[in-house]
Amino acid sequence: MGLPGSGLAKGLAVTLRTMTRRSVTAHYPDVQPELPARSRGVIGLFEENCTVCMLCARECPDWCIYIDSHKETLPAAAPGGRERSRNVLDRFAIDFSLCMYCGICIEVCPFDALFWSPEFEYAETDIRDLTHERDKLREWMWTVPEPPPLDDAAEEPKEIAAARKAADKLAAAQAAAAESASGESASGESAAGEGGGDA
Amino acid sequence: MEFFDVAWRLLAVLVAFLTLPLLVGQTEHKVMAHMQGRVGPMYAGGFHGWAQLVADGVKFAQKEDVVPAAADRRVFQLAPAVALVPYLLVLIAIPIAPNGVVGQVVDAGIFFVLAVLGVGVLGQVMGGWASANKYSLLGGMRTAAQLLAYELPLLLAAASVAMAAGTLSLPGMLESWQWWWLPWQLIGAFVFFTAGIAELHRPPFDAPLAPEEIIFGPLTEYGGLRFALFMLAEYAGIVVISALTAVLFLGGWHGPFADQLGWLWMLLKTAALCFLVIWMRVAWPRLRADQIQRFAWTCLVPLALFQIALTGVVKVVFL
Amino acid sequence: MSGLVLLGAERGFLSPTGVEITFLLVGLVTLGGAVLAVTSRQLVHAALWLVVALGGIAVLYLLLTAEFIAWVQVLIYVGSVVVLLLFGLMLTKAPIGPSPDADSGNRWVALAVALATAATLVTVVVDAFRTAWIELDVPQGTTEIVGRSLFRHWVLPFEALSLLLLAALVGAIVLSRRKKERR
Repeated sequence: MGLPGSGLAKGLAVTLRTMTRRSVTAHYPDVQPELPARSRGVIGLFEENCTVCMLCARECPDWCIYIDSHKETLPAAAPGGRERSRNVLDRFAIDFSLCMYCGICIEVCPFDALFWSPEFEYAETDIRDLTHERDKLREWMWTVPEPPPLDDAAEEPKEIAAARKAADKLAAAQAAAAESASGESASGESAAGEGGGDA
Repeated sequence: MEFFDVAWRLLAVLVAFLTLPLLVGQTEHKVMAHMQGRVGPMYAGGFHGWAQLVADGVKFAQKEDVVPAAADRRVFQLAPAVALVPYLLVLIAIPIAPNGVVGQVVDAGIFFVLAVLGVGVLGQVMGGWASANKYSLLGGMRTAAQLLAYELPLLLAAASVAMAAGTLSLPGMLESWQWWWLPWQLIGAFVFFTAGIAELHRPPFDAPLAPEEIIFGPLTEYGGLRFALFMLAEYAGIVVISALTAVLFLGGWHGPFADQLGWLWMLLKTAALCFLVIWMRVAWPRLRADQIQRFAWTCLVPLALFQIALTGVVKVVFL
Repeated sequence: MSGLVLLGAERGFLSPTGVEITFLLVGLVTLGGAVLAVTSRQLVHAALWLVVALGGIAVLYLLLTAEFIAWVQVLIYVGSVVVLLLFGLMLTKAPIGPSPDADSGNRWVALAVALATAATLVTVVVDAFRTAWIELDVPQGTTEIVGRSLFRHWVLPFEALSLLLLAALVGAIVLSRRKKERR
């Protein structure tokens, strides 16, 4: 702050420089925002994975997940076997007027039935309309983006690591078998690798 | 013939009075926004929000005309007109091109202009008092104090140019203007422009309005069309002060091809000064009321007196 | 100035011109503003009526083609003195609505003094100029003419006035400084 008025000059310079640059304004309704992957917009439900274990509803701090279900008995798979019972989902609703987007339900879901969707335009004019049922949650499921690629130095995903371990073991076993029975070239077992994780 | 001539000139002044302030207002919207990394109004009128102020005007016109219960009704309602009309009158006397392209040649032009400008502030003081609101009253008092402090340097700086030109008429001053008056009257230009901005209560001299401390000063209780008139007065004031500074200190229509393009030079100089006014609002913080007073009395008045002495010495010794 | 005043013996006060009628009307407005300024019970209204009266006088000057004086009148009185007055009122006491203490006990004395002053002025002016007539087609009060007469014929009163103002200025400074020391 040497010369008197240098602060004033600096103010003028900064504002002028900013004026010549592009503004940072997001032109939202005209241009959709580019949201980062992992944006927490709404929660989508992949029904097929849901087993009605109720973990999400119980862990929810706001008690905003409503689940109804009934039990169905399936006939025994093999004759003489026991009948199986299965939970069938009747209702899955999330009240987004209560939800605080903590994401605990998604964390705790053991079967990967809940996902974050970056969808955010779901304002309603009535607070009761903010309770969204399973069909809406399913619709949002299709807006869930692919998980972003991992960092270069990141650890391998567990599923792949497990699959690779199994494949390595199998390969080692096969190699050992081939060595011990070098004469006999017959080994009918197929060496197809086990599929790893599910989606 | 003469009647049509006068009518035509007055109509032109009226049109300028109604469009130029809006132009400045829209420029302020946009320039201020971009200086802050925003884009400003984008929708009204379609193309980059060019009709935003028209839309604002329509909105203001639709609003209810509210007068506070405790207010002094008539003074309250009269104040916006008192604030606005002087600027319209002043615009009549400002020359925009050589050979008498001016609303009306006034013999004591500079006196006319400054006298009428001073009346405009009266409207704000009236509004501040009549609102029956303590913030309005505070704002009105600050307005009055500011006017009293800055009227003097404004007059002295203008007097310096009048001395140099040997006339009080604005077209006459421009006739005798030479390019080297620019450095000669530089201090005067600074004093005049600064004092003019202070009279308009534009930042950094907007302590009388100071939305963060006294709501909106004298305009606190105003709404609707009356508020719009006050706003129009403010922007008309920017046009008038910029045009006056351009005429008195920057040579008005002087420039290459002044005979054909004089009006363009005048408009360009005025526009540049208007931009400066907007720029200062964006870049600088507000002065406190006491700092404003000190700046006027201890800085601008001595500078203006020095300029007058300089003008006198140069005029007597070298001319 | 004397050369510009023609003897208007052949002119009468009947069949007045437009300017004369305007002059009379503006004069009435001025008088009305002045009377209201004195009689109004509302302090700020009184100040605003004063604006009307002073502005009316400026218009009268204009009608007499004394342009320079007219604008100085507006600049000094309307622009500065009244604003100063309003500022003072706001600083001290400016209620909305009538203030009971705006009425003075010596109003009759004031009226007598005012009437006496007016009578004196009117007599003196009428006696001095009688039927003198100013030709309004030629500007009589342009800056140049006023300046010439002021600095050729009336320099001494002018300088005396500025001395008076200087004395007032110094006095104001002295008064305000003494107060500070006492504190």
